Amino acid sequence: MTRSHRSILSRLDDAVRWTGIPARVADPLVDGKHQPLRWVPLLLIALSCLQLVVCFIWPQEMERLSLATLVALMPAMVLGIGTGVVVVYMSGPLGKPSREDDEREAALRKDSLLFCLGLLAALNGLGQPILLIMSQWQNWQTGHGAMVVISALILNATLLGTLPTLYASWSFRRLPKE
Amino acid sequence: MSRRQLAEAVGVNHQTIGYLERGDYKPSLELALKIARHFGVAVEMVFSLDRFPMTFGRKGEGG
Repeated sequence: MTRSHRSILSRLDDAVRWTGIPARVADPLVDGKHQPLRWVPLLLIALSCLQLVVCFIWPQEMERLSLATLVALMPAMVLGIGTGVVVVYMSGPLGKPSREDDEREAALRKDSLLFCLGLLAALNGLGQPILLIMSQWQNWQTGHGAMVVISALILNATLLGTLPTLYASWSFRRLPKE
Repeated sequence: MSRRQLAEAVGVNHQTIGYLERGDYKPSLELALKIARHFGVAVEMVFSLDRFPMTFGRKGEGG
C-alpha cells in the first residue's frame, strides 16, 4: 500500500510506533531497564486533583471566570476524555484481547478496567452528593458550579485513562532472568 | 528450552511463561493443555493443585 493510500488508522499506528513506546513495551522485562509506567499517571491524577481543589480554594476568583475561560478549558476536557477513550477502548475493548494480547494480558486488562470502573463508580457515588450539598451550603454561583463540574469531568476522564495503567503497574512483578 | 521458545510454541507472550514458572499466573485449560502437548506429557505432569517437590532452586518456587 502506498503512503498516499494509507488510512488514518494506519497513520495513527505509525505515529504511535514513532513514540517508541510499543518497542519499549515489547522489550523483555528482565533486563532491569524497563520501568513500570507509574509516575506519569500519578502526575496526571495529581494535576487533575489540583485543578479541582483550586476550584474549592478560590471560589471568588472562579466566579469571575468568563464564558471564554470555560470555553478555553474545553479542549483540555476533550483531550482528557479522548485520551481515556483511546487508551481504554482502542487498546482492548472492555477486557476483550487486542490482537497482540495473550490470555494473561487480556485478563490483566480486564481486571484493570474493572478496578478502574469500580473505583470511578464509588468516587462518583460519594462525590456527587457531596458536591450537591456543598453547592447549596456555600451558595455557589453558576460560574463556580460550572468550573467544579468541568474540573470533576476532567478528573473523571484522567482517572479513566490512567487508573488501568496504574493498576497494571502495581500488579507487575519483575521476572528473574532465565 | 527458553521462555521465548516455549512461548512461541504455545502462542503466548514470553512474559506469561515467566509468570507461570513463578506461580503468579494460573493458565487457562487451553494453555495448560497446549504446554502439556508441547512436552508430550499429561497435563498433570506440568501443572498440579499441590506444589511439586523441589529438586533444585529456591524452596517455594515451582511450576
